[in-house]
Amino acid sequence: MGPLGVNVPAGIVVAISLIIGLVMVIVFGYTSDQKAIHVAKDRLKAHLLALRLFQDQIHVVLRSYGRIVLATGHYLRLAFKPLLFVIVPMTLLIVQLDRYLGSVPLVTGQSFLIKARMDSPESLNEATLQLPQGLTTSAPAVHVPSENEVAWRVVAAKAGEYNINVHVSDQSFSKSVVVGSGLLRLSSTRLRGKFWERIFVSGESALPENKFIQAIAVQYPDRNIAFAGIEWNWIWLFFVLSLAAGFLFKSILGIEI
Amino acid sequence: MRLEHRRTLMYLAILAIILLCPQHGHAYAGPGAGFAVLSSFWTLFVAFLYSVYAFFVWPFRQLFRLLRRRKAYGKAQIKRAVILGFDGMDPELTERFIAEGRLPNMAKLRGQGTFRKLRTTYPAISPVAWSTFMTGVNPGKHNIYDFLARDLANYLPYLSSAEIKGPKRSWKIGKYTIPLGGPRIKGMRKGIPFWHWLGEAGIFCSVLRVPVTFPPEKFSGVLLSGMCVPDLKGSQGTFCLCTTRLSGDKFREGGVRVPIERSAAQCSSYVPGPEDPLTGSSDDELRVSFQIFPDLGKSQARFTVDGEKFTLKVGEYSDWIPVRFKAGIGFSAHGICRFYLKELSPEIEVYVTPVNIDPSRPDLPISHPVTYSIYLSKLFGPYATLGLAEDTWALNEKVLDDNAFLAQCYANHDDRERMLFDALEKTQQGLCACVFDTTDRVQHMFWRYLDDDHPAAREVPRDQRPMVIQDLYTRMDELIGRVMKKIDEQTLLMIVSDHGFKSFNRCVNLNAWLHQNGYLALKSGKTESGDWFDDVDWSRTRAYTMGLNGLYLNLKGREREGIIEPGADADALKGELRQKLDGLTDPASGRVGITGVFDCDAVYAGPYVDNAPDLIVGYGDGFRASWDSVMGKVTSQIFEDNLKAWSGDHCIDPRLVPGVLFCNHKISEEKPAIVDVAPTVLKLFGLALPRHLDGKPWTVALSAAP
Repeated sequence: MGPLGVNVPAGIVVAISLIIGLVMVIVFGYTSDQKAIHVAKDRLKAHLLALRLFQDQIHVVLRSYGRIVLATGHYLRLAFKPLLFVIVPMTLLIVQLDRYLGSVPLVTGQSFLIKARMDSPESLNEATLQLPQGLTTSAPAVHVPSENEVAWRVVAAKAGEYNINVHVSDQSFSKSVVVGSGLLRLSSTRLRGKFWERIFVSGESALPENKFIQAIAVQYPDRNIAFAGIEWNWIWLFFVLSLAAGFLFKSILGIEI
Repeated sequence: MRLEHRRTLMYLAILAIILLCPQHGHAYAGPGAGFAVLSSFWTLFVAFLYSVYAFFVWPFRQLFRLLRRRKAYGKAQIKRAVILGFDGMDPELTERFIAEGRLPNMAKLRGQGTFRKLRTTYPAISPVAWSTFMTGVNPGKHNIYDFLARDLANYLPYLSSAEIKGPKRSWKIGKYTIPLGGPRIKGMRKGIPFWHWLGEAGIFCSVLRVPVTFPPEKFSGVLLSGMCVPDLKGSQGTFCLCTTRLSGDKFREGGVRVPIERSAAQCSSYVPGPEDPLTGSSDDELRVSFQIFPDLGKSQARFTVDGEKFTLKVGEYSDWIPVRFKAGIGFSAHGICRFYLKELSPEIEVYVTPVNIDPSRPDLPISHPVTYSIYLSKLFGPYATLGLAEDTWALNEKVLDDNAFLAQCYANHDDRERMLFDALEKTQQGLCACVFDTTDRVQHMFWRYLDDDHPAAREVPRDQRPMVIQDLYTRMDELIGRVMKKIDEQTLLMIVSDHGFKSFNRCVNLNAWLHQNGYLALKSGKTESGDWFDDVDWSRTRAYTMGLNGLYLNLKGREREGIIEPGADADALKGELRQKLDGLTDPASGRVGITGVFDCDAVYAGPYVDNAPDLIVGYGDGFRASWDSVMGKVTSQIFEDNLKAWSGDHCIDPRLVPGVLFCNHKISEEKPAIVDVAPTVLKLFGLALPRHLDGKPWTVALSAAP
């Protein structure tokens, strides 16, 4: 909650949803063939009405259903062009928002896991964790050879932004860990290579090229946003609210979706 | 697989990859894509559920029918009947054009099946004849005698087919009246259309634009109402001429002139709509304003109408434009109209069609079920719903020229064809009936080019006259050809017209004749009356006429100021009028203007005979009731030239204007009548004929069993 009792993440999601809803509807309006979409939707409705009007004529019902499938495909095809214009910026935007809204920072006094995924099971014994002041391990490292993974259970004594290091064979690999509260930019994983995957799941630069370690991950808890009496994952709330905003603005602006 | 489908599948595959491959939340690409995907899946889901429902319920519905003894097609001799109504198609012209080789498909039908003249009704007017067509009874049983009927209380006309009143209840607040409920619509046509009986027997029917089907009646099938559907103003069609010309005669009927206000870069005007339901005053009409942005260099103008933007070149029509007349919060009327840019310089003139009821959001019921008009609109786009959709008045008043009128007619005709072929596809078994009005409207307006000496076309040299009617018949023949390709041996195809056509070059003002012969009196000092008997002295009037063929006695106890005693006096007066009028000759041409006067007591029988005129006047070839006489006006001249584009007509002696009957099977009846169509179709579908029918079923030689 904010200083005035306002649910800040919910407020941010609402505001973003309204803005995105408006912008995307306008973009859709300009980049789509509005007349063709109108006609395609009308045809769909006509075939649906045919199911009802000619319900005793089985051949009409079956043929109408086939036409509905084709008309739906045609409609989706028309929606595809504006989709091309918005999908890249929207994806990047959502990924960035997810850094802030997808998870909450770690809490002092509560243990969490740091996992390192290695290239081979042999490297598991060589990996050690070096923690800055304020973070301590609360249990010995656990090796999972089947997954090439080693995990440490860690507890934070105080809030702050830390860098932990995993040492393997004279090399050190760092990863950020955020402990605190509020809306902070979080990155759950640091990856070696994997450019496309990094765009979607990592907010940090790539691990340096090496032969031992593929990824270091910190498990941040998921953020739940209270809105309208329901606990939401932000992406679902954004989905619902931006659809509602889109519906509102399309009617106001007279744009066919 | 068609290229279109292949491309659709390819796009679908790409879309699926984009949507499915990224991690869950990142697949969402904004509300546009969200709507598209959600609504598509929803549509498919609903459609699938409904298809499954229909598939499984179908046997139970069939069983239910059997239990109700509605075993469809059990005794049927045919699987399907397709009836194409070509309003006003003339048998003599048809024979002539067949002989000239213009109509190969009709020639084929004549050779393989049947071609006959079809006896029409008394009078030979479309609403009368089509009512008889659908009910199988004479007008005395269906109550339609003309487009107009007269109010006995005040001698004023009203529409004979339907009555539209305001809502039953309303709430008055100061000068405003809040209507509580929709308008009340009462159909005046009596009798039961034959598709009602077919539906009862479980035989599906698709009925398109058959006249006098407004308001639509419930039955087992689908129906789109035809002639007599009003426009949004409640009239039978009121066009609008928006103009910067300050002067101009008021249109006699069918149109209004609206000023265009000019400013620096744009002009503005409005489309007049219905009266404001909140004030209930005809002075307070609702309006939709529009703007015109002329571009003289390109001979075009941009229009902004109710949020719609479009550009028209001079001589070009717009698509159907939706217009919404707002009367206040929650009160609005939805219509559609087309704009035609007549002129841009030096003056600006824009013709606007009558505002049709929007078929996708009908404020009045124009189809059964209501969703049928919506279905057609969604499938084919907006279409004309007005009963008399082809604006003959605008051509008569020279607001439209020949080409603009024809473009309008054929645009409507093309829509009708699309509807017909959809109905043919949907009705593989049962009845498919569709009436085309183009044949009637085009012949009315272009007969002047067929008539060697028509007063309305004397200035056009014979060798320069367009072949409009020839082209019309050719077009209808091509339509028949396409329909024939869609039917099989077990389908009965009938082409029916309700009446034929003749030239209308001389007008007869029967009220003038009645006045000059002492049957109709004007108030002292008057030599002519106004419209609708203004200045007629009813206390001294024995007979009068209004509408196209009806002649009425001013009967005591019936008319408000009647003076003729019913019984012997009335019979004597009828006899006297018949004797004097029959054979009435036009002194200018020497031709017979009236070839028969028919006593309604002799030609009609049924419970509604009392509403009929007393006499039906049968005008001779080339004659018709004058424009003034139809509107209850007494003029000084009895005969005069008809100078209007409306130059062909059929409201004459019914014996002179039979319709046509084509059938793809042999019919033995030598003198078939339009009243016989209904019993014939019922019999072919194996139904018992209702006893009250006047028509007799024909014997049809069917070559294959269903």
